[in-house]
Amino acid sequence: MDELYLDNIDEFVNDHNKIVTYKWLSLTLGVHVNTAKQMLFHYLDHKRKESSVQLHATYLVSGKCLDNGQTSHKVSVVREEQLEDFKSKMSLIVSVHVYSVQKALLKDSGPLYSVDYDAVKDNLKNCSRYSAIRCTSAVPMSSLELQQVREMQRAPTPEPENKKPGMNGDAGLASKPSTKPQKGIMGMFANKATPKNQDSGKEIKLEQKEDTPLAGGPKSKPAGKASPMMNFFGNQSAKKPDKTVKEEEAAPSTSAAQQQQSSQPEEKQYITAVELPKDTRKDSRSVKSKRKDDSDSEGEKMEKKKRRRIKNPEPESSDDDFVPESPLQMEEREPSPRPKKEIESVSHSHVSGHSETKTRKRRRVLKSRTFVDDEGCIVTEKGYESESYSEAEDEVKATKQAPKEPIPSKLPANKEDGKKSQKKTSANTNKGTKQASITGFFQKK
Amino acid sequence: LVDKDLTGLSVLGEQLLQILLGDPGWQIRFSKLLFCPCAVMFSELSAQKDGSSLLCRPGSEHQGPVFERASPAYSPCSERYSVGERSFNRQYAHIYAARLMQMRPLLAERAQQKWGRDVLIRKLCDLQAGEQCCVVGTLFKRMELQPSILKEISEEHNLLPQPVRIKYISEADELILEDELQRIKLEGRIDRDKCVTGSVVVIYGAERNDGKFTVEDFCTADLPLQAERPALSSDRFVLLASGLGLGSSHADSMLGLQLLVDMVSGQLGDQGEQSGAAMISRVLLAGNLLSQNTQDKDASTKAKYLTKKTQAGSVEAIRLLDELLLQLVASVSVDVMPGQYDPTNYTLPQQPLHKCMFPLSSVYPTLQLVSNPYQANIDGVRFLGTSGQNVCDIQRYSSMESHLEILEETLRLRHLAPTAPDTLGCYPFYQKDPFILEECPHVYFSGNAPTFESKVIKGADGQEVLLVTIPEFSSTQTVCLVNLRTLECEPVSFSAFSGDEEESEMNISH
Repeated sequence: MDELYLDNIDEFVNDHNKIVTYKWLSLTLGVHVNTAKQMLFHYLDHKRKESSVQLHATYLVSGKCLDNGQTSHKVSVVREEQLEDFKSKMSLIVSVHVYSVQKALLKDSGPLYSVDYDAVKDNLKNCSRYSAIRCTSAVPMSSLELQQVREMQRAPTPEPENKKPGMNGDAGLASKPSTKPQKGIMGMFANKATPKNQDSGKEIKLEQKEDTPLAGGPKSKPAGKASPMMNFFGNQSAKKPDKTVKEEEAAPSTSAAQQQQSSQPEEKQYITAVELPKDTRKDSRSVKSKRKDDSDSEGEKMEKKKRRRIKNPEPESSDDDFVPESPLQMEEREPSPRPKKEIESVSHSHVSGHSETKTRKRRRVLKSRTFVDDEGCIVTEKGYESESYSEAEDEVKATKQAPKEPIPSKLPANKEDGKKSQKKTSANTNKGTKQASITGFFQKK
Repeated sequence: LVDKDLTGLSVLGEQLLQILLGDPGWQIRFSKLLFCPCAVMFSELSAQKDGSSLLCRPGSEHQGPVFERASPAYSPCSERYSVGERSFNRQYAHIYAARLMQMRPLLAERAQQKWGRDVLIRKLCDLQAGEQCCVVGTLFKRMELQPSILKEISEEHNLLPQPVRIKYISEADELILEDELQRIKLEGRIDRDKCVTGSVVVIYGAERNDGKFTVEDFCTADLPLQAERPALSSDRFVLLASGLGLGSSHADSMLGLQLLVDMVSGQLGDQGEQSGAAMISRVLLAGNLLSQNTQDKDASTKAKYLTKKTQAGSVEAIRLLDELLLQLVASVSVDVMPGQYDPTNYTLPQQPLHKCMFPLSSVYPTLQLVSNPYQANIDGVRFLGTSGQNVCDIQRYSSMESHLEILEETLRLRHLAPTAPDTLGCYPFYQKDPFILEECPHVYFSGNAPTFESKVIKGADGQEVLLVTIPEFSSTQTVCLVNLRTLECEPVSFSAFSGDEEESEMNISH
């Protein structure tokens, strides 16, 4: 065997002043670990014979050892001068070989680790290439195999993954049922105006596609929902508390949808804006009168107050989600035909109320931070309530005004909001549609 | 080899003689004999066979030997320890109910075996004063010193924070037996300090007029039935290690760890050692791969902006672990169990560490990330064990000190973790208690013990179980090897020299 390696090692040890371990040498020269151990020994032997250069070596000793009455296999790295001592302690020596050669005397074995660490780190991919044990099963998997393994692991749990989108996109589910009842509503509208009919056809189509277009998707809802809302408010006094919650959830979605609607081509907007309010207002009025009869009593109001209180603590959780919406609503309302003061105060209160109730649907976080705020809110509402308590009526009016406003200003906000609100609005569709069918019932009356 | 066989034969002969002579002590002696020096140990197997040494010039002809790694049949059976849907809304009462339900028939049978077929087995509600009978129930130990969150937060008592103790037992403890409906205080011949809450036992005795039950005797479910272990033709080893403690503040144990890796992967030692290492067919890392120091408790209380640029200590430690594992898995199959300080769920059963944390090593099919109570068949030998939380917890709440003793006790109770969910975190199971042992393992281990201990115990139905407490590597630099053929276990320790040692050595030499 050519003995060039002696010069190599000499260079590493003397010139580079390195600690040369067998492992490092094996990885550096690309030789079997056992060969590297022998090379080190040969070098050490050779150098010591040749010159009086001070060289220090560490050895590895392993063997059977009796410690505290317990026999164990002990593997130690020792310095040269301890070697014989260690060997004598062992009852059976299994292996002895040179572990490292270096110029300086090592105080502790820490550096030995760091030398090896660096060498191993540079050769992580084939660190056992020169070792004396081959493991046939330890072959790194190709990326394809890895993928297969991952898929296999995933296979048992595809359901949750599928479920999630389903839950997010309740829309998909919601849109289907929604079309049915909406037909009824559409039909109801159709009685009033023929242009509406065409619209409704389009809208239904869009509804079905709902999932894909973000901003355009929910636009059909308002038509379907606005009027049911009205009806519901009328009916409210007769309903149970949890019903009112639903109404309020639904109502905001109409307003949101209406805003989105406003970004549609002018003509359609105009139509819906004109048609819709008219008939909803009619509804709500008819209902309103009925409700007045029922709810004039003080007890009823108190009950309502209580209801509000009960629901309020949770909803405020995520106003921030809806922040972009509330200013919009206000904008819309500003030019309403009613006396400005009154309307504004009302709409303010409603806005806050809406965003709260809306968000409640999505997030069930209990926060009682704005509870006091809500208290104020209630007060204003109550004041309004005595007249009709139909938030939606305001909103309808507002939308009526909306088209007159510069549209572009709303567009970006809507789009931005679209993503967020889509989930929620779609979730609401479910409710809206349910109610829609009921509205159809009331409408007949 | 002939010599060894002969001694083996003589040992067998001696047993046979003793069996024939009806000596009841042969079991004990046999278990001792198993560990007599004549047993084949790793060192002997690895000792030089042909006198070739590495202390010579490299030969010119060969490139060095390459040994083939032994690959045993392996089948993991830890399904019972995986938690599918995780719902934490349930109460823990269901576990106790399920445990008692599952154990009752076993214990009833034991009672009949022990106290006769016609022994009266009562429920607590049917108990009549003065009547000798058996009762199956769950033990509950009321402990004054047991840390209680309610005590800690009760301001009206103005209590000082309770000091952390090593043991929570005291003289004032009371032992109570519960069944589905009632509970009764226990007195008499039952070691209060040794018992722990949650163990299901059957007691024999009578209720006194003062409403307490005087125990005359009691028994546990004892070892379950064991599947037969196939006879292996060759020696194969499984290496058990725990408590690597990566990421600790003092890194001087790292060379020891590297030596371990080098030994297993066949870098270290003479040919004999390497051929011995090739017989290590599997490595099992039983938890606490990361050091406790990687868990920075302050991180959650510190302001975000202060910790923005700091990295969790566990990140670096996991990277280190990944590199170490890579060196191992490139040469041997490795099972990695999580432990108390590892980044997975805290409650038992701990679910496997996530593959994503090991980008380098997880591409090897030889890396198995497994759950914390771990169960597998390796060459027909059933391994069962934990990373040690169950044993440490019992140590705190009973008078038992030795991990090995506690390990045996849990096997006798036929329950991996009786103190869960009382003092040990546990998932709220409700239909089944997966910690009840339904099949007797051949090797029953627990990790992160202060020292290495092992022994073989034998059951009434011929079960033979090797109990092993795997020492914490970071403090003892010791791992253990289990011979699958003979079920012997021996420690392997690693050492390196350090500055302090040098001085002591110097003193000796001068």
